[in-house]
Amino acid sequence: MREITLIEAIQEAIREEMHLDEQVFMVGQDIRGSIFPHTKGLVEEFGEERIVDTPLAESGMYGLAMGAAMEGYRPIVDFMFAGFTYVTFSEVSVATGQHYFLHGGQKPMPIVITAGTGSGVRLANDHSMAVHGTLFHQPGWKVAMPSTPYDAKGLFKAAIRENNPVFIPWHFQLMMERGEVPEEDYIVPFGVADVKREGSDVTVLANSLQLKNALEVAEKLEGEISVEVIDPRSFEPFDMDTLLKSLEKTNRLVLVDEDWEKGGYVSTIAARVIEQGFDLLDAPIKRVTFPNMPIPGGHMEPTIMPSPDKIEAAVREVCA
Amino acid sequence: MSLDSSQMKTLFRNLVRSYHYDQMMYRRITTGQLVGFYHPGEGAMAPGVAAGSFLNEDDILSPHHRGHGQAHMLSKGIDLKYFLAEHTGKSTGCCQGRSSFHFSFPEQGVHMSTGFIGLVFTPAVGWGWACKRRNSGQVVMLCTGDGSYGQGRAHESMLYAANWKLPIIFWCENNGMAIHSTAEDMHPTADISSLAAGYDIPAVVVDGQDVFACAEAALAAIERARSGKGPTFIECKVLRFKEHDVGTPDLAGYAPRSEELHEEMRKREPVALATERVLAESLFSQDEIDTIHDEAKAEVAAAEQFADESPVAMPSEEELMAAVYAP
Repeated sequence: MREITLIEAIQEAIREEMHLDEQVFMVGQDIRGSIFPHTKGLVEEFGEERIVDTPLAESGMYGLAMGAAMEGYRPIVDFMFAGFTYVTFSEVSVATGQHYFLHGGQKPMPIVITAGTGSGVRLANDHSMAVHGTLFHQPGWKVAMPSTPYDAKGLFKAAIRENNPVFIPWHFQLMMERGEVPEEDYIVPFGVADVKREGSDVTVLANSLQLKNALEVAEKLEGEISVEVIDPRSFEPFDMDTLLKSLEKTNRLVLVDEDWEKGGYVSTIAARVIEQGFDLLDAPIKRVTFPNMPIPGGHMEPTIMPSPDKIEAAVREVCA
Repeated sequence: MSLDSSQMKTLFRNLVRSYHYDQMMYRRITTGQLVGFYHPGEGAMAPGVAAGSFLNEDDILSPHHRGHGQAHMLSKGIDLKYFLAEHTGKSTGCCQGRSSFHFSFPEQGVHMSTGFIGLVFTPAVGWGWACKRRNSGQVVMLCTGDGSYGQGRAHESMLYAANWKLPIIFWCENNGMAIHSTAEDMHPTADISSLAAGYDIPAVVVDGQDVFACAEAALAAIERARSGKGPTFIECKVLRFKEHDVGTPDLAGYAPRSEELHEEMRKREPVALATERVLAESLFSQDEIDTIHDEAKAEVAAAEQFADESPVAMPSEEELMAAVYAP
């Protein structure tokens, strides 16, 4: 099968969905000139009416999408960097996520937000912050993040067809990751985790760049510790069944997330495991996360953020 | 743009209806028969009537919290019994009794309401963008108060509207008060509409106590927006007879508003002013005016009966959980 990069897979999903549905359009800042490669060439193909560049005014930019969604369009909003969603967070979190429920289920809010995310690229706080956990916390939002080019195409297509708001960032360090992607139309449904590697001693839940790190650790420990690696693919909805089924076999759990330790999505998953699968555990759950500090610039990140070394240490600790 | 007699009659009827709906809401909140707040609209209903009366069904209207948008919505043809049922937590409410005062009538162009003052400026960009893209001649009547123009969102909205000639009417009902704070203390210029000059948006200041003056301005702005010429800013200088919301003291800054001020304000009661005008121009006789009041009271009573006889919305937690996401 042909191989393309993760960012090319995202573009393919957007292009295909824009051809399928006239109501789909994209709005962002400098997406016509394309800051990142997934929007390159889109304005030539779809015109300025459907590839909309806005002034540097994020609330109005996002508001455009929100109002258009109420009027029957299906916007994809590109925030460039995930942290920039905080500029217009009351629109995003409250007004969008809660619109459908609060107004009596009269009109869906089919909005997709995408943006680059992830630490380790020396851009410091505002350009690096993880937002998926914050939106995971907000009722009404669905949240997913692709780890492979295959999932990128399938998850983005699912997101664009979804009748609810979806936050689907992509990791900077996976942008040029290559992988097999079918040319035909397919979706990867939300709420279906992917067991990337089977094992029997410990379950590691990780996604995106950290999935890559977890798989590296699993391979390194082969013959010593048998590591099962699961990619949740979407955080909301979350596939609890696959995780609990894995724990029936391994009885040990390491949760990896690039978000902060406090209140990240893995904290909720840990609590759910304790509520729903306490008897399955033979050891305390271990989380590998970003420590509770602003994401620094300069050269410090590799020693602070989740890494193969930290994941390996956590695996050894729960298996000791 | 001068009004014909049929337009003036429509405005007068809608103003009277608004007055009686507002009185009913005030009576109900003070007797424990409403859920949530009520922000009395007395004295301030004329601009809403003018903003709503000449919109088409597919035009988009964003009312505000003063009088909870009743004047705007009834003038656009929205049946307020579903609004009242919502405001009393009934299952027949426009939002299934879930929203207290966050009404919406999307099929009639009222998409949302929010307790975040001024948040509507940003989705309004999208409403205007959608109307323009469809080239449908629809307009967006974006009604807010003076306080909301403190929001950066107001400026972003004007920027987008001016930049792309979006069919948005920035309809500012300036009563000079945001809760207790006065516009004099919180805003640097005498007119909020002076902001529009920075975006090359034409601006008009009108007497917000005069429903006919407001309507003339509204009609001109609606026509301008419909014909693709872009946004207009209309500032209606209006009065707020009552406190901000029922239960808060009636202050300006931190001092009570004086009896003298209230007496002065009452001289400019909008229904009385409109009545003088329709009598002077022989549009209605006193008998006909009495009938208009009686019909309005009957309409309000029927809305109350509908709301009162509807069951309280009390879905189970499971039912509510199933309503968080759209299918």
